[in-house]
Amino acid sequence: MIKLENISKVYRTKEIETLALDNINCDVSEGEFVSVMGPSGCGKSTLLNIIGLLDEPDEGKIALNKELIMSYEDKKTAKMRNQLVGFIFQSFHLIKELNVYDNVELPLIYRKMPASERKQRVTEALEKVGLTNRMQHYPSQLSGGQCQRTAIARAIAGEPKIILADEPTGNLDSKIGHEVVDILAGLNDNGTTIVMVTHDEAIAKSTHRIVRLFDGRLVG
Amino acid sequence: MLKNYFKIFLKVAAQNKLFTFLSLFGISLTIMFVMIFSMTLSKITSGSGPENDLKQIIFCQRVKTAETHNGKRWGNGYSVASVGKKFSEDYLKKVKSADLISMYTGPSPWEFIFNGNYQKKLQNQTDAEYWKVFNYEFLEGRPYTAEEVTNGANLAVISQSLKELLFGNEKSVLGKTIHYTSMNLIVTGVVTDPPKPDQNAIGDLYFPYTLLKGYDFDDYIGNYKVAFKSRGKKFDMIRNEVQAIVSRADAADTTRAIFLSGPFTQMEKMMVGYGDPEDYSIGLSIFKYLMMALAFILLPAVNLMSLNFARIHERGEEIAVRKSFGAASGILRGQFLFENILMTISGGILGIILSYVVVGLLGNSLSMSFGFWNNVPFSFSFDFKVFAVALTACLIFGLMSGFLPAVRLSRMKPAAYLKGGEI
Repeated sequence: MIKLENISKVYRTKEIETLALDNINCDVSEGEFVSVMGPSGCGKSTLLNIIGLLDEPDEGKIALNKELIMSYEDKKTAKMRNQLVGFIFQSFHLIKELNVYDNVELPLIYRKMPASERKQRVTEALEKVGLTNRMQHYPSQLSGGQCQRTAIARAIAGEPKIILADEPTGNLDSKIGHEVVDILAGLNDNGTTIVMVTHDEAIAKSTHRIVRLFDGRLVG
Repeated sequence: MLKNYFKIFLKVAAQNKLFTFLSLFGISLTIMFVMIFSMTLSKITSGSGPENDLKQIIFCQRVKTAETHNGKRWGNGYSVASVGKKFSEDYLKKVKSADLISMYTGPSPWEFIFNGNYQKKLQNQTDAEYWKVFNYEFLEGRPYTAEEVTNGANLAVISQSLKELLFGNEKSVLGKTIHYTSMNLIVTGVVTDPPKPDQNAIGDLYFPYTLLKGYDFDDYIGNYKVAFKSRGKKFDMIRNEVQAIVSRADAADTTRAIFLSGPFTQMEKMMVGYGDPEDYSIGLSIFKYLMMALAFILLPAVNLMSLNFARIHERGEEIAVRKSFGAASGILRGQFLFENILMTISGGILGIILSYVVVGLLGNSLSMSFGFWNNVPFSFSFDFKVFAVALTACLIFGLMSGFLPAVRLSRMKPAAYLKGGEI
């Protein structure tokens, strides 16, 4: 499902160059649930951004769903992100001006899809995370766990094949964190490929495989 | 999608009250001025009252003469002023392609003391055709005839307001005498006061131009205006004929070069203004005014643009999230432009309301500052053309102030705003 070949990424400023990823080779199979672990600043988020086509590698190739990414043309990558990938972030990144329903609907408004179908998909996604009774609430009216569940609903509303979760439990207490991981595991059981960055060894161990990064390199 | 953008627009506007206020203030003030200006222009150029046939009339009002010697210009001296009496009578009034031609001095101040009080009114010396070119409403009596003008009859047509000033509530004032300079004029007719936006057909006291010697500077320059009325709007034919007459007069006169601008429609007349009759260009005038209008809109648009630039980072997280879930840059540019146009249209609606309020409250002062001299209230009704101008101004405003910030916004790298959860 995800194939990374000799991926390198360097961040440059006027004074300094930082090697964020160094010659990464990695495959993630369809239906796999992979955890990415490593210390802060080792390149985990960069790796996720590159897989999600939010960032471009300086070297190497990437293939998603058996399609080799040849160019990073804006419209093409936007379409791939929309249809293939769902993102979950540590601090949720819900749009605070929109209510739960509108936030979850976000990936669907960029598709040519009738309003009735969008409504059905949003409702289904919210049912999966148990938030149908909070549709009209705004992010400021939700708890952290509810925000993250909204973010998960948004990530799955478009029924993507891949979910990229960047420390989805990082801002939650352990009980809520485990609830979130359970939801992700349920999605994975239904065939969704998940790559999750985490610092929590116990949570990582509950996934199929752990990929470890250190100073931009794969170490295990 | 638009519903989503609309919700965001409302929320962002409500959350950033200072920004919203500054934006709406700038836009509404600009649109208010655009509205008042275009309402005035529309009123003036479409004509009303005696000028209700204004679209069928073109005007000559500026002549330039320069000395020549052996067919060449002599020095740099020249004279520019209104059309001379002789040139109007002997040349311009003989144009065949016009249905009606009138010469008149146009309104000039007439100051006098009445019952111990200082009064300022307008006098206008005209020919008989004046009353056919312009459609005055006679409350009583009649205009003076061509024969009476030729014979220099001491007759006058007066406005209703002058009648009320001089004769109070008398029912009929026909045959009454009015003293003007050293003349005693007998009232032959009373007309309603022309509405304020009228630029050509205005006055309080009208009498035959033949009564005064006139102020002709030479054969061509004096203090008259000539109006050509053509029901079929054959303006080009009239212009060609007038220019042919000018060329003939120019060729026949070995001492002077003669230039006459126009004849112009009301709009052209206003655009050319007091430009040099030898070297005028309608195209250049239009361009000049368009540039001025653009600059007028550009300044507040640049202001709004800089506000938008300053606020780009506030939207960074939202843009990053939208990009993550499949919004291409073009869609984001569209969203930001849509929001900006909504803002400018909101400001525009406010500006339109404000313009009607301002005109309603300050109509008279405004009309004074626009140079209309009589006392008829200056009121505006809804005019689709004016509304279209305001709407276009809003759209230009919105596009100008929103485009560059929208481009920068859409090019933002989402990764920077999504890292580690901290913005």
